[in-house]
Amino acid sequence: MGPETAHSPNADDLNTLYWVLLVLAGILVVAINLALVAMVVRFRATRGREPRRLKTRRPPQLAAGAAFAVLAAAVFVAGIVFTESASDVEATGSEGLQAAANTTAQRQISLPSTAQGEPAPLTIDATGQQWIWRYQYPDGTFSYYELVVPVDTAVVVKLDSTDVVHRWWVPGLGGKFDAVPGEENQTWFKADEEGVYDGQSYAFSGPAYSVMRTRVRVVSVPAYMSWLEEQAAGIQAAQAFVQQRVSQITPGTEAAIEEEGK
Amino acid sequence: MSDGRALSPHRPELVTDRVPTPGPRWLELATSTDHKDIGRLFIGAAFSFLFVGVIGILLIRLQLVVPENDLIGPITFNRLLSVSSASLVVLFALPLAIGLYTYVVPLQIGARAVAFPRLASLGLWLYVAGGAILYTSFVYTPPESGFNAWPPLSDTVFISNNGVDVWITAVGLTVLGLVLEAINLAVTVAKLRAPGMAWRRLPPFSFSASVSSWVLIVAGPVMLAALVMLEIDRHFSGVFFDSGEGGAPLYYQHLSWIFFTGCYLLFLLPAIGAISEILPAFSRKPLLSRGAVSGSIAAIGALGLLAWMENMYTASIPVGWLYGAMAMALLLAVPLGILFVNWIGTLAFGVIRLRAPMLFALGAISTLSFGLAGELMHAVIPVNWLLADTVDATAATGYAFVGGPVLGGLAALYYWFPKITGRTMGEMMARASLLLIIVGVHLTLIPMALAGLEGQPVDVYKYFDVDSLDTYNLLSTIGAFVLAGGITVSLLNAYLSVRHGARAGHDPWHADTLEWLAPSPPPPHNFDVVPDVRSEEPLRDIRVAVKQREAAEPERSAEPSESTEPVA
Repeated sequence: MGPETAHSPNADDLNTLYWVLLVLAGILVVAINLALVAMVVRFRATRGREPRRLKTRRPPQLAAGAAFAVLAAAVFVAGIVFTESASDVEATGSEGLQAAANTTAQRQISLPSTAQGEPAPLTIDATGQQWIWRYQYPDGTFSYYELVVPVDTAVVVKLDSTDVVHRWWVPGLGGKFDAVPGEENQTWFKADEEGVYDGQSYAFSGPAYSVMRTRVRVVSVPAYMSWLEEQAAGIQAAQAFVQQRVSQITPGTEAAIEEEGK
Repeated sequence: MSDGRALSPHRPELVTDRVPTPGPRWLELATSTDHKDIGRLFIGAAFSFLFVGVIGILLIRLQLVVPENDLIGPITFNRLLSVSSASLVVLFALPLAIGLYTYVVPLQIGARAVAFPRLASLGLWLYVAGGAILYTSFVYTPPESGFNAWPPLSDTVFISNNGVDVWITAVGLTVLGLVLEAINLAVTVAKLRAPGMAWRRLPPFSFSASVSSWVLIVAGPVMLAALVMLEIDRHFSGVFFDSGEGGAPLYYQHLSWIFFTGCYLLFLLPAIGAISEILPAFSRKPLLSRGAVSGSIAAIGALGLLAWMENMYTASIPVGWLYGAMAMALLLAVPLGILFVNWIGTLAFGVIRLRAPMLFALGAISTLSFGLAGELMHAVIPVNWLLADTVDATAATGYAFVGGPVLGGLAALYYWFPKITGRTMGEMMARASLLLIIVGVHLTLIPMALAGLEGQPVDVYKYFDVDSLDTYNLLSTIGAFVLAGGITVSLLNAYLSVRHGARAGHDPWHADTLEWLAPSPPPPHNFDVVPDVRSEEPLRDIRVAVKQREAAEPERSAEPSESTEPVA
């Protein structure tokens, strides 16, 4: 019952407004249905009773129109306030990445600074492709399926797609956003707790759409740094292996592989 | 009225030397340009597509009954999804609205025919061709691109078979047919009203016909354009929606959402019109304010069409545009709120008879209230980011669908069935059907909304066993079968009542609009003499005048009276 517990300030905004509107919508539904039942029970046809017009002091149309206009305006304003608040990328917290980056010079991570001198958020390029998410980190390291980020750090996820429309959402870490080829789009989150957050793609993308899942693993800053090292080393090893195999291939086998590919 | 089919003495005798011999009955019906024949065929075809569409939905629900089910594979699932959703929206909801309008509106406004009778016939057969193409594709390649054919997924690179082409052709032909009907209806309402039938006296159903037609005239061609562009992209190396070549997939999203927002409005507007006819008839008092109801109907059409980006909050669109869409969507609360107040104000101090049409109308209002409250939440950007594209969105749309075209459509069917066939539909079956539908809709959609909150995406062929998704989906599937049972009982009721229903007179509900002046079923020319309209309730005026004349000349009223004759 209820949306996933918020683990990011923007998810908190979403959940708060959700509960407010759920109560409002609930009141409207209950009021309308109770009124219907009350009218039917009270005014069922009985012998000898004649219909008469509803008499009100003021025209009910105006009163109803005004009431619903005020309601719509209030929800509109709340909608804008919460949209702005949820879109506003917060600064990384004290536990977050830049504090650690300054003290532990284990690895050079380029973190461009904003005008105010605040460190810019950690920017991840997330690319949707049928049917997996690829995450690229600022230093060029990448991972598939699982995004590893440090806790209490503002993470901006830049969304892109190499094929069809995908939609990125990890419940508890903000809202849904589209990854469309050729369109720039982004979301952000700042996870307040270490742990594993499961998400998936929410845009219909063909046969394996249902299993296009993803995961955000939030770890401490030192764990993040060492994971980056490991991942980079792993990628390097893999690339070296491929290089070695390619260099072993004679022109004849290369042609054979191409032939097979067709 | 007893002898309604006989020619009135006022009608000149036709002199001709070559009276065509009528062909077989099916041929006469198929080639008929009578709006009543066309309307009947539309209504019949629409409910047939509802029936087969519901079977598709039940198969989908069976696949989703347990987590990670492998009853139906992903490709088959996507095909069922594409065909069933097209079936329910484009082949059922829209044509049902158009069919009811085509049948009822000319009678209601005192016209003898629609403005362009042959165009009406063309529209019908384009629609039937569209439906036939969609369903016959099961013998070769059905579409598998989901409820819409989003590019780039619908491009030949990703779906190379011609399922998408089937979808484009079927939807395109149907929408073309419906747009032609809409033009026809808009002109009919604008130009063929009986003398004295001013816009302010137009019954709400006919008013909603005019607004719905304009919505279709605006939204339909947008979709046709999008479909043509999509087909050019697929087979003639077009680049309209190809981001690599200067196009953008977002263009298609805009165009098709304009159309699907129009579809959503066509879920609502005909139901609103029908409810606004039925409530006064069965509470024996006029609408609280017909002006307010008509104004609200027009406002819903206009604001709704401007709110299409409400469905695109997750896309990369400048936030200012999204605020505009949110404003339009939330402003809809004003006309909708006024409508609910008017309906309740109409019931208040009325004399309420709970006959089948009234029960269905009340059920429709109740169900719509859930759908519209859900839509209110989805209209707000941050909440939409949370709920969009989960099955919660399916639940909100489902409530509007069941409240609008299903319950509203069935209410209209129960209400006008005596006019169409001369017989009333069974009251017991109606009650059973309504009970099943109401229980079914909540049992299906409330667990579905909860599953959406736990993150179950729309349109997935399988989901994983997290939290309570298994329980919610099991309940949803049971509910879907109950709901489908309820719909089937009503369709069966209609089928049986065509032959075996109790005979209805020309005015079984004691209603005040003009269609009840004509015999049931009405003759080809509708009215022997088109009456003069003097008020919002023309039939009431005629009844009063007849009574006065009978009082004045008792000996004349003893003769078989010509009550179709207008009272001067």
